[in-house]
Amino acid sequence: MADRRTFLKTLAGGAAFLLTPAGKLSSYTSVTGKNTFAVVKGRDTAAAVRKAVELLGGMGSFVEKGETVFIKPNISWDRNPEQAATTNPLVVETVVKMVLEAGAKKVIVADNTCNDARRSYKRSGIQKAAQTAGADVPFMEKRKFEKMNLDGDVLKDWEIYTEAVEADKIINIPVAKHHGLSGVTLSMKNLMGLIGGRRDLLHQKLSGSIVDLASFFKPELTILDAVRILKANGPQGSTLNDVERRDTIAASTDLVKIDAFGIDLFGDIFKEQGLSGFPHLQLAEKRGLGSSDYRASGYVEIDLGQV
Amino acid sequence: MMKNLRRTSQILFLLLFLFLFIQTEYKGKDELGIPVRFFLDFDPLIALSSFLATHAARKIFLLSLITIGMTVFLGRFFCGWVCPLGTLNNALGYFRMRRPAKKADEGNHPHLRKIKYYILIFILVAAVFGWNAAGFLDPISLMIRSMAIGFNPAINGMVRAFFEFSYKLDLPGISPALDSLYSAMTGTLLAFEQPVFRQMISIALIFSVILGLNFIAPRFWCRYLCPLGALLGLVGARQILARVDVNGEKCISCHMCNRSCQGDATPFPPGRWSSRECLVCFNCRDVCPATAVTIHPTAKVTGDGNVDLHRRHILTTAAAAIVAVPLIGIGETGKRPHPQLIRPPGALPEDEFLRKCVKCGECMKVCLTNGLQPTFSQAGLEGIWTPVLVPQLGYCEFNCTLCGQVCPTGAIRNTSLEEKQKIRIGMAFFDKNRCIPYALGRNCGVCEEHCPAPGKAIKFKNEEMTDNNGNIFILKKPALDPSLCIGCGICENKCPLTDKPGIRVTSINESRADYQLYL
Repeated sequence: MADRRTFLKTLAGGAAFLLTPAGKLSSYTSVTGKNTFAVVKGRDTAAAVRKAVELLGGMGSFVEKGETVFIKPNISWDRNPEQAATTNPLVVETVVKMVLEAGAKKVIVADNTCNDARRSYKRSGIQKAAQTAGADVPFMEKRKFEKMNLDGDVLKDWEIYTEAVEADKIINIPVAKHHGLSGVTLSMKNLMGLIGGRRDLLHQKLSGSIVDLASFFKPELTILDAVRILKANGPQGSTLNDVERRDTIAASTDLVKIDAFGIDLFGDIFKEQGLSGFPHLQLAEKRGLGSSDYRASGYVEIDLGQV
Repeated sequence: MMKNLRRTSQILFLLLFLFLFIQTEYKGKDELGIPVRFFLDFDPLIALSSFLATHAARKIFLLSLITIGMTVFLGRFFCGWVCPLGTLNNALGYFRMRRPAKKADEGNHPHLRKIKYYILIFILVAAVFGWNAAGFLDPISLMIRSMAIGFNPAINGMVRAFFEFSYKLDLPGISPALDSLYSAMTGTLLAFEQPVFRQMISIALIFSVILGLNFIAPRFWCRYLCPLGALLGLVGARQILARVDVNGEKCISCHMCNRSCQGDATPFPPGRWSSRECLVCFNCRDVCPATAVTIHPTAKVTGDGNVDLHRRHILTTAAAAIVAVPLIGIGETGKRPHPQLIRPPGALPEDEFLRKCVKCGECMKVCLTNGLQPTFSQAGLEGIWTPVLVPQLGYCEFNCTLCGQVCPTGAIRNTSLEEKQKIRIGMAFFDKNRCIPYALGRNCGVCEEHCPAPGKAIKFKNEEMTDNNGNIFILKKPALDPSLCIGCGICENKCPLTDKPGIRVTSINESRADYQLYL
């Protein structure tokens, strides 16, 4: 009985999906069946986020019932969503909702900010959006950082935000931005918001540091917010001239793929140097964290259109 | 009866003061929206000294006329019923008063009462000649400053230490409960982050001495030293509605009224009551065992009990003030600006700023990053305890205008955010002997990352370099664009060289004054 019901549901779902005019599958649709990298474009950000996760098998395949999930958006700066220095609040809100719908017991949304935490939480719109959706949005208080052994190439003992480590799952939601020193800041650099201590020192060995973070935290899922991307004067941006609207969401379990895809988003800016200009990708590949060839297999791209 | 009513009023105003004090912090809104400087706005000494020093009135000073008007009718009701420092003194002096007296009128020192009038005269004359010294001893200024810089960090530190200890102990049941309480208190009752202030101990000590004086005589400060009390005493000398009348025929000379008198106003002997000193507390009437004391509008004010302010002393005090003003201005800060004197954005040109600033510490209390600190020597003697930005302790937040919002005298203008973001308060300079890319040949760029100025005042200049292993790499050397730098100091604050940053802001090029232009 159950099998047949599931089968019918899947069939109905698939039919509905194929019949939706917006659900136009691109030529990159995975043929092997299992998608490992989903890109969804569309003006409706919430729908795009949902579709991207759905293409990877739905939130239920990442979060189990009763779990505590830590969501890490970028809330670093005292900037508003239009300035694209922080993760789009609608993306955060949608992910919180999906995680709760998947049966999570508790959702925590937090970041170790660069500007004043109160201002950044407020101005980014993330505090309100995540709270409305049902998440706890605490400030990262100093006492909740603990020194842990990361056993990385650069990072050995470092202060880590305990609530992130204690959570059952971490979902990483970076925003795609230009960065003066590293060219871009994407999924791996976003993890710097989970650590405390003297983060300013890491810039001297940035690539190695963020690869260490990626291999330590191993986020369950990464959703890249490219609704707006910041193309210059990053990572905090300033004028709206540097912001470009892309209405794109990418999701994968592979941070290396996400970062490689993110770099390509910036197109011409990094054309000359290509991916080789980003040593953290090679380092991460060498460490077995993933592959920068995000189109290799399991790539799926959908355009939901302007509606 | 009156005592209960008075105490209720005192407690309510003290609570209001504490509430406004706690609200003098960013609470999630760009505009505070709460009149946190309420007590300063109603303070006629602040208004008068600022007016005399600057020869300009601000609309907000009109509020202090309400205090003046009420004082004409009620005498020093402000001291007895409203003033938060008065209430603290009252509470502490209570213990002194309770001790059995060894002799009649113990704790009363009528000969000291004149001190406060001379202090007031000094302040007002100095103000006329351009030195606004009111802030040192104005009770509201004194109290906010002492609380903000001295007591608040201490109290926060102690409470935090308790909760941090409980967190580390990790007692089942108890620690988590205390910890959620701690989180709830942080940013509400407690400051969002532990405040850290230079001169915390000295400013707290001065305040402690003032409070400690209550053990020599109750309300020692209010009776003998407070310049606002003196001003209100003079204004309210007629005390039209609440005059003390001691019936000489009924009086049994027990001295109870004098002993219970909050203001050392000598209701006894009859006819010697001083309206200038009376704090309208009604104690004399309430304690009189012979019901000889009544308070009513028709009693005669003889003025016989008032302290004699000798003309010679008044002139001497005024002369002292006149001499002090130029003297205090002689100093190297008068000759050339101090490099570390980085004033908050919107601060008036230094001369005008010093005439207006009353050192109340509101701007330091509200400063988002705790970067505004009391000066010690950077602004000369007359500028002590005025605000200065110390970038290594806290930078000026690009999107914040709080200090201008809370300044009671307009020494820091209340500017729009748009205007504030264009104000230069100083300029950053790289120390190439220390800055990591220059000195050590490795990439860093933390300053560039944090620079909030549109278009970035710190830009990278790429240079191909060879490292020790012969590998070629691009070194990103940060360089300052002086046309964009506003001197906010976030670069200095975030520089990894935490002992002596590789980039430092000095006051040159601040936009408030042409003498600071570098070109």
